[in-house]
Amino acid sequence: MFQNDKCLLKPSELLRLLSLAVSLAITGISLGQEDVSLELDDNLSFDGDFAFDDDLFGGGFEFEESESENTWLNDFTIRLTHQIYGQVNNHSVEPIPGFSFLRESEVENNRLGINIRYQNPFAAGWLLQVSGQSRIYLKNDYQYEANNDNLEVESRINELFVQRSFGQHSIKFGRQTVVWGETLGNSVLDIINTSEFRDLSIIDIEDARRNQLMLSWDYFGDDSTISSFINLFPEFNPAPVRGSPFFFESEFNLTDYRREGDVLIEVGSQWRKSFEGSDIAIMGAYLFENQLRYEDPVNSIGNSIAEKNDFLLLGLSANRAVGKLLLNFDLAFSRGITADSFSFPGTNSVGRAIDLKKNQIGTSFGFEYAVSNDQSVSLGIQAQKLLNEDEGLSPGQSLINDGVFGSWLVRYSNSLKNGDLVLSATFQGDLNAESLLALVGLDYSISDNWAINAQIISINAATGSPLLFFDEDLRLGTTLSYSF
Amino acid sequence: MNYLKVRLLSAAVLLTVSNSLSAQELTGLEIMEKVEDFQRSTSDSAFNRMQLSTCKFGIKNSKITCAERPRIKSLESVGKSFGVNLKDTKTVTIVLEPASERGIGMLSFAYDDSDQDNETWLYLSAMGRIKRIASGNSDDDSEPASVFGSEFTTEDTDTGKLEEYSINLVEETQESGREVWKIDMIPNADQARKSRYSKTVVYIDKERFVSLRTEMYDQYEKEIKRLLSSRVELVDDVWMAKSLTMMNLVTNRLSNMAILEINTGINVEDEFLTQRTLSDVAFREAELQKLREQVK
Repeated sequence: MFQNDKCLLKPSELLRLLSLAVSLAITGISLGQEDVSLELDDNLSFDGDFAFDDDLFGGGFEFEESESENTWLNDFTIRLTHQIYGQVNNHSVEPIPGFSFLRESEVENNRLGINIRYQNPFAAGWLLQVSGQSRIYLKNDYQYEANNDNLEVESRINELFVQRSFGQHSIKFGRQTVVWGETLGNSVLDIINTSEFRDLSIIDIEDARRNQLMLSWDYFGDDSTISSFINLFPEFNPAPVRGSPFFFESEFNLTDYRREGDVLIEVGSQWRKSFEGSDIAIMGAYLFENQLRYEDPVNSIGNSIAEKNDFLLLGLSANRAVGKLLLNFDLAFSRGITADSFSFPGTNSVGRAIDLKKNQIGTSFGFEYAVSNDQSVSLGIQAQKLLNEDEGLSPGQSLINDGVFGSWLVRYSNSLKNGDLVLSATFQGDLNAESLLALVGLDYSISDNWAINAQIISINAATGSPLLFFDEDLRLGTTLSYSF
Repeated sequence: MNYLKVRLLSAAVLLTVSNSLSAQELTGLEIMEKVEDFQRSTSDSAFNRMQLSTCKFGIKNSKITCAERPRIKSLESVGKSFGVNLKDTKTVTIVLEPASERGIGMLSFAYDDSDQDNETWLYLSAMGRIKRIASGNSDDDSEPASVFGSEFTTEDTDTGKLEEYSINLVEETQESGREVWKIDMIPNADQARKSRYSKTVVYIDKERFVSLRTEMYDQYEKEIKRLLSSRVELVDDVWMAKSLTMMNLVTNRLSNMAILEINTGINVEDEFLTQRTLSDVAFREAELQKLREQVK
């Protein structure tokens, strides 16, 4: 099941990676400490003895005269990155009593990336927005190894849409995202777009969300907004790529859904209104579950058969600001979802399907608290329950998700040095207390263009958790980026 | 049109001269009220572009200078006054630079009534939606919010609430080669709870009614921040400083706010100062173009 012939992290490489992470952490901490005031001589003062050179910032007043040059280039935003991630803890995992296997430290990610975004309001009331990315997978990256130790280049278009706004209307056509829900990071309503958690360098839903081909229409009323969409080509969460930490060799290959001429469409609409200190929204949609189910092929020959499922969603979301506290609440009723779908992101449901459709109620709620101007903490809890669980089950059968299931998410951030240095922490777990993911990160803006990010990610999982294979994993990673 | 401008300019000059002649009759409060009136007139129905630069500073050759390359943020903002006596404000601010923050938008509603919480919404393309932000209540003792991570806080940029201070004209002196009034402002008990400053000393240009220097003191009467103004220019018949530098004497960091472009008295549609402007880029750019057309 696991590829034990992966290239091991050399001790020197591991040491370098660890040293980089530790030095970055120390640098971040030292930079974050409060400065000691200049010890000024008693005879010194700012009164008249010192002149202030306003020309330090005079460039801004001079620059505006030449800003009309290269205007078309200003529509681009480009970010270059280099990312290195590794699992650094040698340990063993025992998924079944008596059977254990080694998890050796290794580099998982070593890749160059470019993200390009182009935004051009080319005429009054019109906008063209395009974004895309390319990745080059270098030696030791799991995708390099999956490509038979050859460089691999992967590119994709993310956003590609045209927007037309006129009067109180706005229409957007193309690849885009639609985000519902108030709870930060794990809303039960944030299911319109698919997501891809390809590896553990991507933790946040914001980074994993994928765009889809949609036509959306917004009507901005005097005191409320109606937003509607038609998804012209619903897509599904992609299967894990070969070599990624989430990949496993299944008996039959996992493939994409074969449309065979099927015309699939999703539609939805949301009404939203803001009050003093509060926003509420009501929504409804006809959707396909983002996660495909897989069944064995006929006569056990060929690839797995991917099965889709359509369902109806009704939802309500609201927030309420009380001083420094922002309360969030989402409620979702899903009619006709598949009872045996996996809820763990990044994996597909494989195996014997019970093939039951049920109704489900879910809620996500939490708060965000501004501890100070620089510090904030948020908590979100997502809980879901299938209604009439036992209905339709054969004697002895049980559902993968029975009772109340879900997850919780805590985020903390602290901005230092006028926001140049951001310390962050994310803790994530399931409501059954079977797993815990902890991430500590440091983002440092070296200059207006350069930035560096370092992360430490730890996973603990108990028997029964889908994350069991990652129990005791400890990952270190860093990403260097240049934006212009 | 030229004739009208000449008449307006003459009126402004006359007003300035008459103000100087009657300087001795003005109290500290009256001086500050005039300063606030002028300041408010430059933020009502205004469209401006500014640059925020922040760095650690040091002293070299008797000059205050950046000890590192400054971090620069370019912003475009549109504001309008609302409410009773036009003391509430709605502002949309869009980040133009740096590249990593380009497109971030913020909508703020600031209410003069301390019983009403200020409201802020943020739009990040990564979030994919407009998000209400939890922020401090102006009525409690939380510290004022920083303006886009700079050394400027909302307390430093807000107008109004003069009635919550004891204002005394200390003396007439000189600052940056200009004749100024030196005025003490000490907050009353209610304001003292909200403010970081136990005392503020301002140096007001006697001719232009612009603050050239402001000293902010903590509860131990130690100067903790200093605001220096320069590039004082006439904008729509009102004198204003287009370069403001806030020095934090505790952290040794300073921020400069350079107002590169300011246009006041323009017609800002109410619908522009709504959440739509944050996410509907086509609408936002079309409306901004209309505003730019007004100032040509």
